[in-house]
Amino acid sequence: MSFISSRLTFFFVRLSQGRLLALALLGLAGLVLYRIEDTPLANLHAAQFDHYQRQMPRPREEQPAIVVEIDSRSLAEYGQWPWSRDRVAELVERILAGAPLAVGLDMLFSEQDHYSPEALAQRLPSLSPTALQQLPNPDRHLAQVLASGPTVLAISGLSRQLSGSRAPQKPLTQVDQLESARPRLIHFAAGLTSLPILEHAAAGEGFINPSPEKLTATRERGVLRRVPTLALIEQQPFLSLPLEMVRLALGEEGATRLDLGAKGIQRIHIGAYSLPTQPNGEVLLHFGKADSHYYLSAADVLAGRVAAEIFASRLVLIGFNASGLQDRIVTPLGDSLPGVDIHVQVIESLLAGIALQRPPWLPNLELAALLMSGLILIGVIPAMRPRYAAATFVGLSLAWVLSGYIAFKVGGWLFDSTAIVLLLSPIFMSLLSGTLIVADNQRRSAEHALHSSREEAARMSGELDAARRIQIGLLPNPSKDFAQEHRFEVAALLEPARAVGGDYYDCFTLDARRLCFAIADVSGKGLPASLFMAVAKTLTGALARRAPDIGQAMREVEVELNRENPEFLFVTAFVGVLDVETGQLDFVRAGHDAPLLLRGGEILRIDAEAAAGPPLCAVGDFSYQAAQTQLAPGDLLCLFTDGVTEASNGVSLFGVDRLIDAMIAPARETSMQARIEDLRDAVRNFEAGQPAADDLTLLLLHWRGGKNVNAD
Amino acid sequence: MQLTVSQHASATIVAPVGRIDHASADAFLAQVQTLLATHGPDSPPLLLDFSAVDYIASVGLRALMVSSRQAKSSGGKIAIVALQPLVQEVFNIARFNLVIACFDTLESATKELSACE
Repeated sequence: MSFISSRLTFFFVRLSQGRLLALALLGLAGLVLYRIEDTPLANLHAAQFDHYQRQMPRPREEQPAIVVEIDSRSLAEYGQWPWSRDRVAELVERILAGAPLAVGLDMLFSEQDHYSPEALAQRLPSLSPTALQQLPNPDRHLAQVLASGPTVLAISGLSRQLSGSRAPQKPLTQVDQLESARPRLIHFAAGLTSLPILEHAAAGEGFINPSPEKLTATRERGVLRRVPTLALIEQQPFLSLPLEMVRLALGEEGATRLDLGAKGIQRIHIGAYSLPTQPNGEVLLHFGKADSHYYLSAADVLAGRVAAEIFASRLVLIGFNASGLQDRIVTPLGDSLPGVDIHVQVIESLLAGIALQRPPWLPNLELAALLMSGLILIGVIPAMRPRYAAATFVGLSLAWVLSGYIAFKVGGWLFDSTAIVLLLSPIFMSLLSGTLIVADNQRRSAEHALHSSREEAARMSGELDAARRIQIGLLPNPSKDFAQEHRFEVAALLEPARAVGGDYYDCFTLDARRLCFAIADVSGKGLPASLFMAVAKTLTGALARRAPDIGQAMREVEVELNRENPEFLFVTAFVGVLDVETGQLDFVRAGHDAPLLLRGGEILRIDAEAAAGPPLCAVGDFSYQAAQTQLAPGDLLCLFTDGVTEASNGVSLFGVDRLIDAMIAPARETSMQARIEDLRDAVRNFEAGQPAADDLTLLLLHWRGGKNVNAD
Repeated sequence: MQLTVSQHASATIVAPVGRIDHASADAFLAQVQTLLATHGPDSPPLLLDFSAVDYIASVGLRALMVSSRQAKSSGGKIAIVALQPLVQEVFNIARFNLVIACFDTLESATKELSACE
């Protein structure tokens, strides 16, 4: 339980990054998709399905149906419509002569012929009844012709009773599952039919309404997409005209059957043929490209210019296709076709078993696809860089669009991928803008941080540069200070590892014959070390000048330094006082490496147990004592810090031995300045580019000798 | 740097391992200071066993110096035991045996320090 709640908490915490808005948008998108027929998106929805049909129209390989069209030429040759029933009878007779499977008349003969005896009697009351009886009856003539073959008459279903409307005479006698399907079926309150005499004569009747919505609604922009297959007219079941023709053609085998699902009708069967339907029995037509090859002019048929054999084993429709007799529809393919063409398309569809499918579960699938994709986007986009986020969305969109095409191609399934992609877009945009805002904020704060760190670095380097200048400024320049000196020569060098370090050297005369020199290393680095170094150097200088001997000077230095030392820094130092006349050297070693002494090509160490103490400030009150040694003329002293001996090439340390080698190396006499630079170069070459870890400080003191040397 | 502390009747032994340099000196000092905080004149001596210390930098020496001063001010005893040659050399140069007592073995340390009392 706690696991679940922690996961939930995690989920909601994660949600805070703009995901809540996206989730709300997804909910809205789901609602829109669920009620898409009530939104402006319905047009897009329909347009997408029309687009599929235009890309992949139904193939029309066979011509099972022929249209005999009452076209402009027929009207020109045989006069205005309505033609006499005799002429219609002649037309039907000529078609039946070719032994067609069925003939459907896409027209109504609701009133008596103008030349029927009854009509003439009304118009010409003077005619005698005998004369009337001898007159031919065109309606009866047509009825006789209709009765001679498999003919189907049209019914126009009406939404309400009109004068002249009545129940058609030839409903289907047997439809499997009709009673269960009855509440779902399209229901016409009344029908407009042909004369009863004709109805009785014909083999069947079928309705010709494209769709009842067409009577009241124009929402589908006048584009015909669906036609009813089976409808109730005054509670009696009727097939549409083209289906009735197929049923008649099949004869005994043309049983009509409905497949029912939970939501209504799924499929209509006529004999061995069937079509998938909407729950109300409508079929979503998959239109083929318009074609005029199966159109014959009624004028040609009447004049005998068409061989009757052409009608053999075909379904023949008689309909209008003249500009004066407007009955045109617009198909999803964008064609404007005569209404009778729809019947041909329905016949072809049924015989091929091809229709579009949008069963009731398909919108649910679309909804699931939308919600799933939306959740995926909400899950992954905020964690992605904008570039990959865009690629993910484009990829997902393409996948849905492609699956829409594949679904149509494979089974005529109308899967509305466009609506999914369109409804996902606002979600993606809100997520992406969230990502971009986060990225932008990060960039800004990174820029800000960079800026301030640069500022800080500049400020620090300014301070450190100043500190370094002060530090270096504190150091004497012995080669310059003692340029005129003949008895000795001093050179010194300090290269800080960081901007400022804790090393220092010093070199000054106490009086005419005493030279004080020192090298020291403050523990630690940076500003604290350099400040401590400044204090230590000043104190050492001042106290060395005042104290009678160097040992006492160092004791006083330690006491003074130790007085204020909150950082607990300490200083290793070597301080020496050389009598430049006699060569006597007094020295104190405070935790510092003993200097090297080069005498006649040999290296010695300046050291004495008595003069060796811990670093200054390490103990606080150590009793430093000075030791003495005697230099020989020509002796060279080398003072160094651990920046020399602990210089590293990444593998090993420079060490005292390498320093000794470098000291011995020069074959001829050079200036101390050149020598000290050679030593420095030896260390730097050894380091081979490795950054120096510590200050590098060296001091060389060459004692030439006393006054004797001066005399030279 | 790792550090183990073991309490014995005769001494508290702190054994650091590895290098005591810029990266580890502060942590080392903090641990030793924590131990010294409860350290009085009557406590057993605090022995820093350096048998596993390879290297000590000047900041490490400073840590020892600070520890030594703290022990001195509280009257406690602190010493270093078993220096390795490289570290011993640093101690020789810096004369740190004058800052903090150094012994070769734990036994000699405990013996010497208890003898002082």
